[in-house]
Formats: sequence, C-alpha cells, structure tokens
Amino acid sequence: MPPIPDQPSRVSVEERLFSLVLALIATEIGLTKADILSNVQGYRQRYAPGGDNASLERQFERDKDDIRELGIPLETVEPPDDPGSNHHLRYRIPKGLYDLPADVSFSAEELTLLKLASTVWREGSLSAESRRALTKLHSLGVDASDPVLGYSPSLRVREASFEPLSKAMDRGHVVSFLYLKPGEESPRRRRVAPQAVVLHDGRWHLFGRDTEADATRTFLLSRIVGPVVTVPGESFVPDGDGKGQEALRELDALWHAQVAEVTVRPGSDAAVRLSKRSSGNTDPAAVSAIALHYTDLNVLADELAGYGPEVLVRSPASLRDAVLTRLIGVRDAHTDPSSTDPSSTDPAGTDPAGTDPSSEGEPR
Amino acid sequence: MSALVMPGASDKLTFLLSLVPYLMDRDSISVTDVADHFGVAPQLVRDAVSLIAVSGVPGESRQYQHGDLFDIHWEEFETNDTIALTHLVAIDDSPRFSAREAAALIAGLQYLSSLPENADSEAIASLMAKLTRSASAAPTQVAVARTDSGTAITIIQSAVRDGVQVEFDYLNARGTQEKRRVDPWRVESVDRDWYLRGWCHLRGAIRTFRLDRMSDLQTTTLPTTPRPDDVVLPENLFEGSASDLDVVVELPISAVPLLADFSPQRAETDSGLPAEQVRLTVRVAHYHGLKRLVSGLAGVVTVVGPAEARKAVRDWAGAGVQAYDEAPDWATGDDNAPPVGGIR
Repeated sequence: MPPIPDQPSRVSVEERLFSLVLALIATEIGLTKADILSNVQGYRQRYAPGGDNASLERQFERDKDDIRELGIPLETVEPPDDPGSNHHLRYRIPKGLYDLPADVSFSAEELTLLKLASTVWREGSLSAESRRALTKLHSLGVDASDPVLGYSPSLRVREASFEPLSKAMDRGHVVSFLYLKPGEESPRRRRVAPQAVVLHDGRWHLFGRDTEADATRTFLLSRIVGPVVTVPGESFVPDGDGKGQEALRELDALWHAQVAEVTVRPGSDAAVRLSKRSSGNTDPAAVSAIALHYTDLNVLADELAGYGPEVLVRSPASLRDAVLTRLIGVRDAHTDPSSTDPSSTDPAGTDPAGTDPSSEGEPR
Repeated sequence: MSALVMPGASDKLTFLLSLVPYLMDRDSISVTDVADHFGVAPQLVRDAVSLIAVSGVPGESRQYQHGDLFDIHWEEFETNDTIALTHLVAIDDSPRFSAREAAALIAGLQYLSSLPENADSEAIASLMAKLTRSASAAPTQVAVARTDSGTAITIIQSAVRDGVQVEFDYLNARGTQEKRRVDPWRVESVDRDWYLRGWCHLRGAIRTFRLDRMSDLQTTTLPTTPRPDDVVLPENLFEGSASDLDVVVELPISAVPLLADFSPQRAETDSGLPAEQVRLTVRVAHYHGLKRLVSGLAGVVTVVGPAEARKAVRDWAGAGVQAYDEAPDWATGDDNAPPVGGIR
C-alpha cells in the first residue's frame, strides 16, 4: 500500500534533511535513490510512482551536498554485482564515521576557550561554520566556565576571494584569478592549486602551487582583482595537514629578514604606536629611531604614508621611494587645478569644533 | 546575543542532530534550561522537540510506524514545558565537525593564543589536536599567525581581577595627550588592533581606547565603581555621533569594504565617473582621522569634498613630502631627541 500523501510538500526543509539523515544512518546496506524518494519523509509526499520525479531527484542531489557540507559522511556504495551502475547505487551514512570519536571529551575550561574562539569570526562563512561547530559542542552537555576578563576578540575577512579559495582548497580544485602585482601596469592571470589561506601580519595570504611556474607562491588576497574561478577539469589531491603552518613559517622568515629603519616625530601618534612594534632598542630616550620588520614593502609603505609627516623612512631606499611616491600622489590628487584656497571660508580649517567623539579608538 | 539570529535549514538540522544526544543523557530537563545551554530562544527548542518527537525512520513497513519514531513524554512537554525522551531512533551520539567547522575553531584558537593567558598554552595545542580528530575530514588549511598584544592586556587583566581602575597617558586620534583613569570592562580586538572599553572617569562616559595609543599604563589602588545595570556596552566598537562629519570619497568599487567602519552610503551618482569607480559618503569624527586614513590608501581613495576635508588631506600628505625635503632634526637619529613638548 503506497503511503498516503497527507500533506503534500508541507514538510519543512529541516524535517526532510533530518529524516534523510536518520534513514541513511539506520540502514546497513544503504538505500537506493528510488527507496529514498518513495519512502523518506519529505520526499514520499511528492513522489509520483511510475511518473516523472526529475525535480525531486534534483532536490535529493542538493540535499546530499548540504548534508555533506555539515561534515556528515554520506557515502555512495556501488553494488558488488553491478559495478558502475548508476541505477543501483546505494546511499548510507556509516555510524562509526558519523559519531564523534568516543575518546574525545572537552572540559569546562576548554569549552570556554572554544566558545571564545567561535566568536572570533563575526561575519562571513567562518562565522556560520563556528556557530554550527559550537552547537555540536553543546550537545556534549559541558557547561562553559566563566572567564575572568570579558574578551571580545574578532577577525574580519573582507576579501571576497576568501570564500571561493577555501572551498576550492577543500575540494582540490585548481583556480584562476587576476593578480595585480605592485609595480606592474596590469593584472596577470594566475593558475593556482590553493593549499592554505593564512592571516599573517594583519593580511590574508594565499599559499599554493602556481601551476604555470610549477612552484609554490604566496599571494596577497587584497591584490586578487576580479572573481576567483575554478579551472574546469583541473584538480589536485590536497596534502592536507601542516600547509597552513608551513605558509606561516615562510612568511615569518621573510618578516625577520626584512627590516626598515624609520624615524618618528617624538610624542606623535607614529611614535606611540610604531615604537610598540619596534624590534630594536626600546630605550625611551632614543625612541625616535625605530626598526620595523615587514613582509611586504608595499603594505608597509601604505601604512607609513598614513602617518604623513610623523614618520621618515631612512632605509631601505625602495621603501623610502614608495612612501614618498604615495605622499606626492595623495597631495596632488587633493590639489585643485584652480588653486583658490578653500580654507578661506573656514579659518578653523582642518579642526572642526566638535564634541568629544564617543569612540577615541578610531578604526585605524 | 549573536546566537539569537534566525537560523537557516543547515543550522536547524545541526541543532536537531545535536539536541538528540544531549536530551538522551538527561532523564528530564526544562525547555528554558536547554535554551540557556545552547544559547538559543526557548521557542526554537520547543519547535525542535516537536519535530524530533514525530520524526524517525521508514522502518520495515516503510510507514513510519510508532516504533520507528522518536517519542517524548508528551504530557510533561505540553503542561510543564519539560522534555523527556522516551524512545530513540538511529542516532545516539554527537555528530563530528566538518572540515570547515573544525578549521574555523582552530583558526580562532590560533588567534586567541595572542592573549597572555594562552601564550604558551599547551591547552590550545591539545584542543586543536582534538578538533582535528573530531572532524570528518582534514580541517581546511586556514591559519592565523599570533599577533603581539603586548603587555597591556596582562596589566588590564590584573586590574579587572583586583577590581581597580587603570591609569594611562592616552594620545587620541586628534593628537591630544591626556591622563586617563578608566574602569576596565572589556578587551576587544579587530584583526591585529586591540582595544579597551570601559568607564572613563575623565569624560564620565563609556569610552574605547586603542591599546597601542596608551603609554605608561598602570594599575591604581582606586576601586572600580560597580557597573550600573542600566549601562550596556554598545555592540559596535565605533559608534557614530551627531557631531560626525560627512565626507564624499571616490574609490574603486572593489575597495569599498576597506571603508566598512565608516558607515558608507552611496553618494548621488556622478555621470562623469569612470566605470568601476564609485562615490560614497562616509562619516568621520574629525578630519584628523580622515587624513591618516586617506594617506594610507594612496591611489585608492580620493576625497571629493567638502573642500576643508580635501585641504586637510592635502596638507597632511604635503607636510609628509616636505619632511623628506627638509629632514628635520628628529629624523637625523641623534641621541638627544627633543623633549615630548613637541606634540601638535
């Protein structure tokens, strides 16, 4: 007797997905697609026996992807007597691979730390991922202990390329994108097998194999212009573990090897802030000379130009030139062809009278 | 707070799969206790339990018969808002993390190792190993380098523990230096910048301070005033205020996220604008911050108006250029640097 379609298509998405997961965990030998569509809650209501179920099949394909995205090991089993047959493929979720390993447990202190770690991501996909991870952690029933000091740390990912790059990394897809190297006139298309995305010295970097140069390269995500697209038919096997740390070690080595010497105006914003990053002497009497390590000359040049007259680069000469070029560029971009002084309308000029701003932190 | 966002189907499924093993380990528990534990709204728990109670597997009969479904103590649930699972189906354990879920937590932990109490913590390393083992695939390679938060957090933390105020010299964004005494409430960060939020006794108001703009930070012996219940820390680090100034800037569309902190609004379109360029109105507290921001984004952001804002940027960059022409005393690097009177 066929099931009675009591409330056609009134089954919510989460009910259909939940029912599918339960059904696939409960089966040892797996269920065929026909089994699933005709029997599982959420599909069976819309199943037409002997009829056209194309849209329902597409629904099932999407559901499979969504379930796998959540880390649920949905497997495909080929029938031993009929290998290669799409028709008799079976689907299942092996319980041993679904369950959290029995010997893993978390203490109250660890849970506190993980809770804080999950709040680091305030926006974007990593925020949704860590929220779901936390829900799974809560199922273990451990209550977090209260930390002494209220911390609210956060990291942002503003580069649109982050998402497609990390997806491609998981799936082992080679990607291509336009990359604008500083000093080059126009961007060049690069093909990369992405291996890690790392945050170093405040910047997101892509670490991967440039398939044309056949060598490992590091890219700044902020210099990727335009969309990241997967190269059809080109894939690789991710080497997995350790690539992120390897990338960080390389960037660290670069950071240590490169030093800029700058002079700061005493008492200025630059003096107060840059002296805290100085690798050289921290003798307050000689606080005007500061040694700064860096990974990328152009990134540092951008930052130092922001300090205007408060910083003077002494070496290397390339950095000095880069900062000066920026300052000249900014000055000229803000100079009107008709050189009437606009400040004449407001003698107070650059210092608008105002109440104390509620935030004295300033975003930058 | 942030847990109360409206969840999507993936979030709801994760919740359902997580709720079952949690309830299984408890004979009976109230809806509100579950909601507190998971940090969700009680109604979300009720909805989930109502769904679980009628869910199950097709079973031998393929009819979802009684024994193939979860069951709960209905009367307890309906009259006392209390949950007791009485029959289980298919699952009895917590699900593993996905590669990306584990990666998000691992990268978050790497960032937390910048905090002094976690600096050399084996706890972090062992936690990351556990997460890796608990994921259904190798965690996505997203890594975060340690940032140096300096000694300031340690000092602030000891002040919080002892319930005393902290004191420091603070150079604000306008270039004014003042001695501040603050009741420390919370340490926040955005990327590699760290902030203290608390009650500023000088201003008599909640204030946010950058740790890297503090000098001579010390704990005092003055006790902190208890934080009144009606004082709530605003969620945003950078609150706009009525005295903010509107500035119109031009930049490539791709660079718009760089100005996300300045509540950018589309300015009236300019027909003469090159493709890929956009004009935005941003709000700044004063031009001192603006000139630094724009000079640090050379070749990307240009101020269109008002004229005073353009002038502030021009003068700032111009003074920078001039500094290279003149190489002032303080830049020659000799040892007798001028006293700290030279603040402008």
